[in-house]
Amino acid sequence: MKQNNNKAHKFGMVIDLDKCTGCGSCMVSCMSENNVPFKEDESNKKDSITWMRVYKLTNGKSFPDTEIAYLPRPCQHCGGKGDHGHSPCVSVCPAVATDYGYDTGIVSQIYTRCFGCRYCMGACPYHARYFNWWDPKWPEGMENYLSPDVSPRMRGVVEKCSFCYHRYQAAKDTAYYEGRDDIEEHEYQTACATACPAGAIVFGDLNNPAHQVHQIVKPDPHPDPRNKHIVGKSRNPKVFRLLERLGTNPKVYYLSEREWVRKQGDNYLDGEWDKIKNYHGASSHD
Amino acid sequence: MKVDRRSFLGLGLGAVAGVAVSPIGIKLTDDSSIWSQNWPWTPVPVDGEVTYESSVCSLCPGSCGLSVRKIDDRPVKIEGLAGHPVNGGGACLHGISGLQYLYDPARVKTPLKKNGDKFEEISWDDAIALVAGKLADIRKSGSPEKLACIADKEQGSVSGLFQRLLKTFGSPNFYTMPSLESYLELTAEVLHGEGMTIGFDLENSDFVLSFGAGIIEGWGSPVNCFKANASRKERHAKLYQIESRLSNTAANADKWIPIKPGTEADLALGLCAVILENKLFNSMAVANFRGGLNKLAAALQKNYSPSKTAEITGVKVSDIEKMATLFAKAKMPVAVFGKGRGDGAQSLKELAAVHTLNCLVGNINKKGGAFVQLKSDYLEFPDESMDSIADAGFAKNKTGRYVSQLIEKVNESSKPVVEALFVYNANPCYSLHDAKSVKQAVGKVPFVVSFSSFLDETAKEADIILPSHTFLERLEDVPSGAGLAKTVVGLTKPVSQPVFNTKNPGDAVILIAKALEGSIAQSFEWESYDECLESVAGGIWDSLSEDGYAIISEGIPSGFVAVNVSYLADNPATIQAQGDDELILIPIDNMRLINAGIAASPFAIKTVSDNVLKGSDSVVEINPLTARGLKDRGYATLTTPIGKARVMINLNEGMMPGVIGMVKGLGHTLNTKHMSNKYVSNKGINVNDLIGPVIESGSGLDAAFGIKVKIFKA
Amino acid sequence: MDSALIPEGAKRCSFPKFAIGVAIVSAVVLWGVFAMFLCWFKGLNQTNMNDYYGFALWIWADLAVIAVGGGAFFTGLLRYIFKIDELKNIINFAVIIGFICYSSALLILAIDIGQPLRGWFIFWHANVHSMLTEVAFCLSAYFAVLTIEFIPNILENRQANKVPFFHHLAHNMHGVMAVFAATGAFLSFFHQGSLGGVAGVLYGRPFAVREGLLIWPWTFFLFTWSAAAFGPCFTLLVTKITETVTGKKLVKDNVVHLLAKISGWMIVTYIIAKIIDTIYWAMVTAPSLGFSLSHFYTSNGFYGYWILITEIVLCGVVPGVLLVMKSTRENPTLRLIAIILGVIGVCLNRWVMVLQIMAVPVMSFDTWALYFPSWQEIATTVLPVAYGIILISVAYRYLPVFPQEHELNYSVEVEPVTEPE
Repeated sequence: MKQNNNKAHKFGMVIDLDKCTGCGSCMVSCMSENNVPFKEDESNKKDSITWMRVYKLTNGKSFPDTEIAYLPRPCQHCGGKGDHGHSPCVSVCPAVATDYGYDTGIVSQIYTRCFGCRYCMGACPYHARYFNWWDPKWPEGMENYLSPDVSPRMRGVVEKCSFCYHRYQAAKDTAYYEGRDDIEEHEYQTACATACPAGAIVFGDLNNPAHQVHQIVKPDPHPDPRNKHIVGKSRNPKVFRLLERLGTNPKVYYLSEREWVRKQGDNYLDGEWDKIKNYHGASSHD
Repeated sequence: MKVDRRSFLGLGLGAVAGVAVSPIGIKLTDDSSIWSQNWPWTPVPVDGEVTYESSVCSLCPGSCGLSVRKIDDRPVKIEGLAGHPVNGGGACLHGISGLQYLYDPARVKTPLKKNGDKFEEISWDDAIALVAGKLADIRKSGSPEKLACIADKEQGSVSGLFQRLLKTFGSPNFYTMPSLESYLELTAEVLHGEGMTIGFDLENSDFVLSFGAGIIEGWGSPVNCFKANASRKERHAKLYQIESRLSNTAANADKWIPIKPGTEADLALGLCAVILENKLFNSMAVANFRGGLNKLAAALQKNYSPSKTAEITGVKVSDIEKMATLFAKAKMPVAVFGKGRGDGAQSLKELAAVHTLNCLVGNINKKGGAFVQLKSDYLEFPDESMDSIADAGFAKNKTGRYVSQLIEKVNESSKPVVEALFVYNANPCYSLHDAKSVKQAVGKVPFVVSFSSFLDETAKEADIILPSHTFLERLEDVPSGAGLAKTVVGLTKPVSQPVFNTKNPGDAVILIAKALEGSIAQSFEWESYDECLESVAGGIWDSLSEDGYAIISEGIPSGFVAVNVSYLADNPATIQAQGDDELILIPIDNMRLINAGIAASPFAIKTVSDNVLKGSDSVVEINPLTARGLKDRGYATLTTPIGKARVMINLNEGMMPGVIGMVKGLGHTLNTKHMSNKYVSNKGINVNDLIGPVIESGSGLDAAFGIKVKIFKA
Repeated sequence: MDSALIPEGAKRCSFPKFAIGVAIVSAVVLWGVFAMFLCWFKGLNQTNMNDYYGFALWIWADLAVIAVGGGAFFTGLLRYIFKIDELKNIINFAVIIGFICYSSALLILAIDIGQPLRGWFIFWHANVHSMLTEVAFCLSAYFAVLTIEFIPNILENRQANKVPFFHHLAHNMHGVMAVFAATGAFLSFFHQGSLGGVAGVLYGRPFAVREGLLIWPWTFFLFTWSAAAFGPCFTLLVTKITETVTGKKLVKDNVVHLLAKISGWMIVTYIIAKIIDTIYWAMVTAPSLGFSLSHFYTSNGFYGYWILITEIVLCGVVPGVLLVMKSTRENPTLRLIAIILGVIGVCLNRWVMVLQIMAVPVMSFDTWALYFPSWQEIATTVLPVAYGIILISVAYRYLPVFPQEHELNYSVEVEPVTEPE
């Protein structure tokens, strides 16, 4: 079975939810970078294509103890159980229209291959996948701003965040022309990370100890002894992943000082949180 | 051969079998899928050479540096410009959406002239001649002061050209829309003297006491504020947010202090009282106070003791005392004013009271404090040549002190107070309180010239529209202000050829001036706006053109700053909301919307929560305790003394009981008979249709922080 | 006027009456076809599906018709492999129902996908890890098998059978039908199972996910088992409906009792397995992911515990018990109730395994997603039903579907009339 090779890249992200202001720059930067269409009414959030969507979390308490936080959610680029590359969506796509890049850890989407069965959307618990229910249409003249780096999607196919894969390709091309073997951290940054006015999004190679994202996340190289499906658990007690317990192994990590925010990252039975909130996988032995 | 049924059947079956085994089927299947992969109605962006150009955004006073990615001549992506002194990399969603403004088919594509109730296209020459002719008539009639102009701001060369035109024409009636910068200058004028302005050193302060300033809601220079706010985490700096609603700033703050709407001034004075009473002030600083510190102290002890303040504001006595102590004892505290984005209605009492806190703790012109310095005047316009009409007209009093008073005067008077109105970069018919009466006033003006790029609410009322280039098509100096600790002038550059038949508004003004001939034309002897800018920017032009920006001031200002507390010592009254119902409606600033003239872009609208906008309904926030029988996501009717609206309900624990919050920036009506702007128009309700102006006595400011409201299930 | 086509000795209603009946149902078909073309030409925005409900009414209909169509493979298996000879009297009809169900399923899939013109990519670019790939291959292959199983019956039409080639073909196909029945049973086992697997492998969806055997989650086996258990119920139900509509007894009671008995035992064993599966999932699987059972059945406007109880007890245990016990099984009313409950039960199971999965929030801050289909979805879902009615009517009228019809209806006193050559 193929596995995420430590020599390969494993691009990932850590988002500081204490810094995130919910301003929406990441969402718009993503839409603009990736030629995401828009339509007359986008207020039905269940059919509004937002590769990057910012969720609003509340602590559920009443006035004046209410607190809110924002949680930006790109595609989580799951490594799947055991980080073997069988992401929930990749493993179900009947036509290999979405695939796992073992050299990057990026889950790709091939629009011209996809025939729109939407099984991947059912498989994704993060709702990171969007279907083109409509033909994408731009008001007359606005198609002038479309970027040639990302092809606009036709009606009837699924799309999602690609970690701005075209930027990785461009960075690799540049490195190649300049005779370098590999790219620098700053050369490949997603559109959301560069746009964030609060600097809340840090992007880089989780496998590269020199990268900021690795230094913040400190991913555990060993599988979680309590659940062998979980790999790459953060050894930073303030860092968590969304729905980590499902074993999807996302490459998007979140950082927060606030316990109630961290708790909302996953589901817990009554009383369970207090028992496991200080458990950080194999790192507990370090 | 006899064709019977059997042979016919055989033939048919044979044909079917033949087609089935031939490659036709496979070929057609393959072709059809290839066709579906290349549907001609799905656009294919043209590839080309990639270049980056830097520029500056002028959508808001933030003045962020931008990097525009182009494919050949076509801008395709806007991002923040790394290393720019204002934003240093990031960008807000509106700036990033800039290309949606540039290419918007709903733009005014060519000069328009109103004929009856519709617009007709006219040439630039005809339009300029028409405007000049009308102005010449007004001038001839002997009352040049009846030409008025409403612009977004005073600073910058384009605004300078408008002011110059009015002055040489003979009118003092140049107005700006309310903005944070105008409030900063007013506050500085009242407390420190004329010609000064204030900046806040948020990125260094270790204790920010914000009186509703939406530091991450778009207040000031938004990206700069986002960065300063984010850096609090590493700097261990504290933010206390005083606000009736759990805004994003309040949620992000170390502590949220809910307060009864409109009592921020009282709380600030209550804090002053504690600081004075407990001798927590900086005695060196206070020694220099003029204007009756003792009188102020006495008035505060009498009217703003902690218990009285608590009663007025709803903030606990212990919190008041604790906040005052923390603020006074912090190393680098700063108190920040300007509710929301700081560009809405504000009361001078509140502005002055909050800034007095800064003066008391002696953080003026200290690191992490409030920077008070002279307004930057980096432009060097040559002296105007004024004829006698100009001299006489310009010497007259302005019709009103602020734009809201001008509107009031126009509406009150039976004779035309204003004969001609220029509107540049402003949309008063949308963004001033009681927008309907503003529209009525603008409608009463016989000749309205709009310089808008879009057919906005005010442009729709115009007689002539001289469409401006968007910020991506023009050269312009863009001074930062907006409460920044430093002053940076950026240079907006044309990153795209003009998409439509529009002009730089500076050029339009120069053309009008030239057509007016005489001393006016003599005052506008530039060939073009670009030439004008290069000459008036004089000293900083090289820096502007080479670096894209020029830093006018940076770091801690030096020099003594006088403080005069006489305004507050006279104990001005606190503004009360209009109406006599129990509940109060307040406007909410939302980063994802724009409350100034233009509508938010389709991208920005797309990001707006369905708890703010649902379909074409505005959603209002209300505490479940106040909702009494109203259901979450149900409908209700809001009735205020000036308007009525059907809204959707969002039960929200982050809202103070008794208060209803409604977002600003929705409810644009941009559709016309010929042009639908369905992506951004007719979405929700303009909160300014529900809130009317309340003029603060003394200052003359519209200080309506909200309005009393009734709410019923619809 | 079409008497030459009607099976020898059979009595059928007059052609105009038949034509009017078919015309009425055809109107419904046309409505469905119109909706179908809307979906094809305008896209799936014609539905009320959304990014939360990527799978909705159609996929439920798909799974439901395949489940109830399971009567075909299971009866075939019993008839040809286990040599239960009585079932020859109902096998034709079971095959026709299966054919209708599977052709409908394929049609629904063709409407459901966003790019129907590229639907064949599922074969061309097949992903062996995907349950849906398995479904597509087995479904298509099994449909071919059903067609082959259906052909002899068509060729037995009075006119077709006159052609010596067709006559011999039909005869010989009957001879080798065991091979196809075995193939069909094998294929069915896998595609019924893989349809179950479609849900069970969704490890991102705690409501759906199940542990299992090797690559197959328990839902794989439960789906196969339930289709085999409830499929015969549907065959019996449609037989009963046909008998009621035609006013004739078409299948002897002993055949019905036998099939009902087999179905009953299958249901009972299935429901025991289902209960064990549910308990294990509720007590072990879901809690290990942080979910308590109440998460899936509370705080929303539709999905309550009622749906769990209805599916398992009312429409599972009850019909199982009714069909297992001789006294209730042989009571026509109770048997009818049981088979109706059974059909509802299996359909409800498929509903839960499609729509409730989509409805349940997984991220702690997400919300329940409820949905109501658009008329286009309803029309295209009704389309197969109408089409099925027409096909059954035509088959019944022109083909010798029920071998016992003659014996049961046209008593011995009237000698079968042999038409003069």
